[in-house]
Amino acid sequence: MDLNRRDFLKVIGLGAAGSALPGCGGETAKLIPAVLPDEEIVPGVANWYASVCRECEAGCGIIVRVMEGRAKKIEGNPDHPLNRGKLCARGQASLQGLYNPDRIRGPLQRDGERGEGRFKPIPWEDAMSRWVAALQKHPGGAVLISRPVPGTLAGLFSTFMKEISGTVLFYEPSAERPLRAANRKSFGIDFLPDYDLANTTYLLSFGAPFLSHWLSPVHFGIAYGEMRQGRPAVRGRFVQVEPRLSMTAASADRWVPIRPGTEGLLAVAIGRLILKEGRAKLSREDRCRFEKFYDPFSIDRIANETGVAEEEIVRLAREFYTAASPLAIGGGIASEQTNGTDTLVAINALNLLVGNINQPGGIHFFQPSGFPASSAEVVGEQALLDLKNRTQKPSRALLMLYQSNPLYTLPPSTQFRQVFEEADFIVSFSPFLDESTAMADLILPDHFFLESWGDHVTEGIAPAVGLAQPVVIPRYDTRPVGDLFLSAANRFGGGLKERLSWTDFRTMVREQWQDFFALRQPAQPFDAAWVEALQRGGWWKPEGKPVPISQRGAPTAPEPARFEGSEKEFPFHFYPFPSMGLHQGEGANRPWLQELPDPLTTVVWGSWVEINPKTAQEYGLAERDLVRVISPYGVIEAPVIFFPGNPPDLISMPLGQGHTFYGRYARERGVNPLTLLAPLIDPPSGGLATGATRVRIERTGKRGRPVLVDQTGQGAKRHTEEGEA
Amino acid sequence: MVEYRDQNAPPGGPYQWGMVIDLDRCTGCEACMVACKAENNVRIAGEDEAAKGRAVSWIRIERYWEGEYPNAQLKFMPVLCQHCGNAPCEPVCPVYASYHTPDGLNAQVYNRCVGVRYCGNNCPYTVRYFNWFEPHWDEPLNEQLNPDVTVRSVGVMEKCTFCVQRIRAGQQTAQKEGRRVKDGEVTPACVQSCPTEALVFGDRNDPESRVSKLAESDRGFGLLEELGTKPAITYLKRIK
Ligand code: SF4
Ligand code: SF4
Ligand code: SF4
Repeated sequence: MDLNRRDFLKVIGLGAAGSALPGCGGETAKLIPAVLPDEEIVPGVANWYASVCRECEAGCGIIVRVMEGRAKKIEGNPDHPLNRGKLCARGQASLQGLYNPDRIRGPLQRDGERGEGRFKPIPWEDAMSRWVAALQKHPGGAVLISRPVPGTLAGLFSTFMKEISGTVLFYEPSAERPLRAANRKSFGIDFLPDYDLANTTYLLSFGAPFLSHWLSPVHFGIAYGEMRQGRPAVRGRFVQVEPRLSMTAASADRWVPIRPGTEGLLAVAIGRLILKEGRAKLSREDRCRFEKFYDPFSIDRIANETGVAEEEIVRLAREFYTAASPLAIGGGIASEQTNGTDTLVAINALNLLVGNINQPGGIHFFQPSGFPASSAEVVGEQALLDLKNRTQKPSRALLMLYQSNPLYTLPPSTQFRQVFEEADFIVSFSPFLDESTAMADLILPDHFFLESWGDHVTEGIAPAVGLAQPVVIPRYDTRPVGDLFLSAANRFGGGLKERLSWTDFRTMVREQWQDFFALRQPAQPFDAAWVEALQRGGWWKPEGKPVPISQRGAPTAPEPARFEGSEKEFPFHFYPFPSMGLHQGEGANRPWLQELPDPLTTVVWGSWVEINPKTAQEYGLAERDLVRVISPYGVIEAPVIFFPGNPPDLISMPLGQGHTFYGRYARERGVNPLTLLAPLIDPPSGGLATGATRVRIERTGKRGRPVLVDQTGQGAKRHTEEGEA
Repeated sequence: MVEYRDQNAPPGGPYQWGMVIDLDRCTGCEACMVACKAENNVRIAGEDEAAKGRAVSWIRIERYWEGEYPNAQLKFMPVLCQHCGNAPCEPVCPVYASYHTPDGLNAQVYNRCVGVRYCGNNCPYTVRYFNWFEPHWDEPLNEQLNPDVTVRSVGVMEKCTFCVQRIRAGQQTAQKEGRRVKDGEVTPACVQSCPTEALVFGDRNDPESRVSKLAESDRGFGLLEELGTKPAITYLKRIK
């Protein structure tokens, strides 16, 4: 089995190299039979291939079960330090991306008006010429909006765009931008730390949704299990402070509701108490700075503003400083406000006060892996909005999109659509016809990640470089985006061709690894190391090397969060949250995820509005009534679900639905709550403040039809009760 | 009533498969649910059928709300077939489609099932699902189907099997090598995926297995155990 596998890897390498060039499609199609002679394909016997999950930015290691050339099941790679054999719902469902019936099957060009979403096939050769011609016509005016792709692809994109004097934006909606900005301020370090949840004895989280979608949910899921029940005689305690009882808060020992946008203030109060009660572990000069900062704040005023009782604040502070290994984290709703970064700086300060940096159960900074070409500075919404001014210049832009759907993930109030409308030419490399791709003039569809070469660098958390190999033959007439850029560079000639002289992306990946291994393990011959990396799914070390932290920034006073819409006219805070399955909308074209019940409400296949039951009664609303949610920027309708975890003045809605394109499972299903949002930004991070819009509700007098799956059997009962059968 | 589960069987006797679900670990992340669907070719109902209560999930996460704002609390509980030692679904099946295997599985013989649904009616855990329609996958989603598991047709009951295909594969390997299945060697799909390790599976007849040891915990209880169903799944209480 091992020998076969080695042979397989060698041949698959050759095959993929050929696939870059036009006319080589036939060779790739023969890939599997060439590798595994017919007599070796035992029906019912599976091969497992290692790769990297690309369904979110975490990049968990995966192994894929392949039978007769078809991927059958994805599991976590037990070897990978990030996810140790575990996987989340989205990773499990990624097969439905590979086998999605609505994948784009070959290059397309616009047919009809821009935005109509009508396309007709075009040969690859013509498509490439059109794209390269557009590149040549727009020196300096080209913009590539890409999802963050930490690894060789990031290096390729960056070099390419730099050589043509264009711009590359690695954009992630609701990213950990505020966290990065805050860590820069607090610790002077530019990468994300690892939070040692597993060894924490007291976790104080300000809104961080680490069990559903924050940073690296599988990694934190594992750590959470260990924190609770993994140690003899120690069970870590966990308190979640946030306005809405989220799925993460449901697992907490105590949920502390708080007024939206005041989380930083609460952290300041707790910090002040730690210092005042003489429990801060600070050097003399640090103490001075911190004292100066905390002094002016009064606890009872903060209790008033946050809505958290004074006794509760005192209790939190004492629990925190008496714990053996306390840890404070912040994210989610706490950072998605106009003061998000400041809030996180105030939370960071709590960790500095108890001295848990690079301590067991605390915040750890690890040395980066040193993988070449891995830096991809992630940008927030502001960077995209800055394009609006840019496109007004005489040379209009060439817009390129890689797995990025800003027309869906940016609120219409930002008027980002203008960038698309004014763009001279739009090229998308997406394998799916999403909202932004529907505006394209030319679509050069990428392989799905299970058909591609690639790598994924995880810095900070568990230092690892995952290696992705094609685990199945590409299904359609698509091409790996890396090959497209290299081929374009070749056609472009000049400096671009020189800097990017690789014949295909696989060779480029391999060479990056060669450089990396030359540095890391010079004694080992590269060929052997490469095959081993392919078999294991990458390179990693069990333990990262800690980086000492010299900077210890005192917090800055958090500005009060700004909210758009007057309290009188719009009495509710509005909080749209990424859905468990659909996340920001990417999962909406996977039937498994559409039919995955929301963990808190059990709703499937649609949108809903969560309202505190008492508030609903005041409005004369029954569960399932259709309501209008109105903000200063828009109106949407969705059915009401009673939600005991909402304060009376807060309304929440899941993100992910309301697609106008994106295939049969997603299209025209539910609503997109982003249409309500004000274009407010957290300035230091440039991230959208999704929690900053106020809304009101109106009854429509109609009944909605949310589908709740609840406990089995009850669905049917409810259905007949309502006489809809 | 025949007592199927032999609690006193010596080690080395037949396997008794069982599971422990630690509610203090489960976070409601639902990875187990998708893993099970992927492994076992569980069909998608679609919006309209789901609205009629016809969605299928061999494992589901039940949620329990308690209290009111600001003291609201929510608890999660994964529920799947309990593989009862004294299974209420078994004696009511007129054609013996629902039966107990010697190694403690509550098995369902699909090609024997005539769809009278007595078993579903009698199951206190409502974990048996009726196929109201012929399963359908839009091409090419069907290419992902697991060839080790049958696709259940319209008119039959289906349910969690403890991933019997994985158990049998594990047993066969062990048998060929002339040994017993090692602890942790057989892992159902839901257990394999669960990030928090809330789910643990193994042989209850092996006192050294993780599942046996965990089941001894003083937090352990059986779901609706007062009914006398003798579930093969032990829940561990969530600590508050
Ligand atoms: S957390 Fe889930 S979606 Fe993200 S990389 Fe890991 S398995 Fe994939
Ligand atoms: S044991 Fe297997 S069949 Fe049963 S719920 Fe888990 S994954 Fe599904
Ligand atoms: S995967 Fe594990 S933690 Fe997640 S819902 Fe299932 S049992 Fe609970």
